[in-house]
Amino acid sequence: MDATPAIRVVDLRKSFGTLEVLKGVSFDVDRGSVVSMIGASGSGKSTLLRCINFLETPSGGEVYIDGEPMGFRTDATGQRRLQPLSEINRMRRDLGMVFQQFNLWPHMTVLGNVIEAPMRVRGMNRKRAAALGEECLARVHLSEKAREYPARLSGGQQQRVAIARALAMQPKAMLFDEPTSSLDPELTDEVLAVMRELAGDGTTMIVVTHEMGFARDASDRVLFLHNGLIEEEGPPEQVFGAPRSERCRQFLSKHLQ
Amino acid sequence: MSNWERLVWNQRGVLLQGLAVTVEVCLIAFAVAIVGGLTLCLIRMHVRPLRPVAIVLIEFFRATPIFVQLMWVTYVWPELFGWPNSFFTAGWLALGLQSSGYLAETFRAGIEGIARGHREAGYALGMPPLLVFRRIVMPQTLLTVAPSIVNQFTVIVKSSTLISVITVQDLMFQAMKLVNVWYEPIEILTVTAALYILFVFLVSTAGKLLADRLRRRYGLAAA
Repeated sequence: MDATPAIRVVDLRKSFGTLEVLKGVSFDVDRGSVVSMIGASGSGKSTLLRCINFLETPSGGEVYIDGEPMGFRTDATGQRRLQPLSEINRMRRDLGMVFQQFNLWPHMTVLGNVIEAPMRVRGMNRKRAAALGEECLARVHLSEKAREYPARLSGGQQQRVAIARALAMQPKAMLFDEPTSSLDPELTDEVLAVMRELAGDGTTMIVVTHEMGFARDASDRVLFLHNGLIEEEGPPEQVFGAPRSERCRQFLSKHLQ
Repeated sequence: MSNWERLVWNQRGVLLQGLAVTVEVCLIAFAVAIVGGLTLCLIRMHVRPLRPVAIVLIEFFRATPIFVQLMWVTYVWPELFGWPNSFFTAGWLALGLQSSGYLAETFRAGIEGIARGHREAGYALGMPPLLVFRRIVMPQTLLTVAPSIVNQFTVIVKSSTLISVITVQDLMFQAMKLVNVWYEPIEILTVTAALYILFVFLVSTAGKLLADRLRRRYGLAAA
């Protein structure tokens, strides 16, 4: 089996003005594995995720998707050059992103949201895109809502549609940015259930989350971020069972109560 | 024969001809206002080197009285640019430009009101900025600002009466012509006012119904 990781992040840095949010983060995500990122607010989790698909342009470091460098190329003189947007867009198609606020487009039906990018970015015809869209909606158990508008759905349903929309691009990996943080507790479970199913199907996933239960049960590896650095990483049994870092221990003791 | 019959019914051809000119001028001015407003708004928001120019134009169009602008376009533009070469053109142009200043700001408010996340969701799927603008930003903006756009059209209709001053033969012009022939303003001007009310009422009602229906459908307004 090809051992190239689905996502490789090398010494990633990001500053906003003088504020250094990411101070050099490196990790690999193997194909078919689930990596959860935990940490306090402001630790850099979301910024890290947004740097992976270049919604934020990293200040330094590299991201590789399936071995291919994302966003930057090093030219003959060894200079790092930002790639044109078209090239970044081509690689973004391979990374499905799910946002905290769902970000469904209110003027399109559920199916319209799901098939928009397959049709207009991948160039699929409507019939094929619709078939694919129905399939993706079935995976998130919302086939019956295909013709509804997002405003008529609950938050949990909206987030599942957002997951279907990302899946419809048939990405190599899915990025989840606190997907349940703006949901009521009773709606969180239906979203987490869908995410567990995806994980079970072998979807490569990076999940930024405050759901410690999900991080512990559903991920292969857990990263604990603190102040823009990975403070602790390992399999969930280790990070949750016997964390080496004192800060991680404190964070977990607060969040596992 | 009553005054109504003599002054209004028997002159209906002239009045309706005037009304047709009014409708025509207003529709062209409205199209100019939408295209001009959107262009000014996009330049202001996205074309940094031209931004000051757009701001100056928007403020100029908004801050000058429509009558002054009408005179300016009619008498100054031909001297400066050799165009417009008819009063009719000058009429719709002045009306359109003034409204474009207002609509530019309306569009800007609408575009800025679209959640950044809606655009980011598009970018994250690999959609290029123009596609995101066309498919995600613009439809939502139009839905949000639809009531203001309809309102601006009614402003154009009402301001359009001023073009009679530069001898464009609109409804107001024809009405005043009849008044000056018969020296009996009551019936003629009352009917003229009624025709304007009817026009504005029809446009705003149709626009409001359409906008409300769309907004309700997409859950953008309380049902």
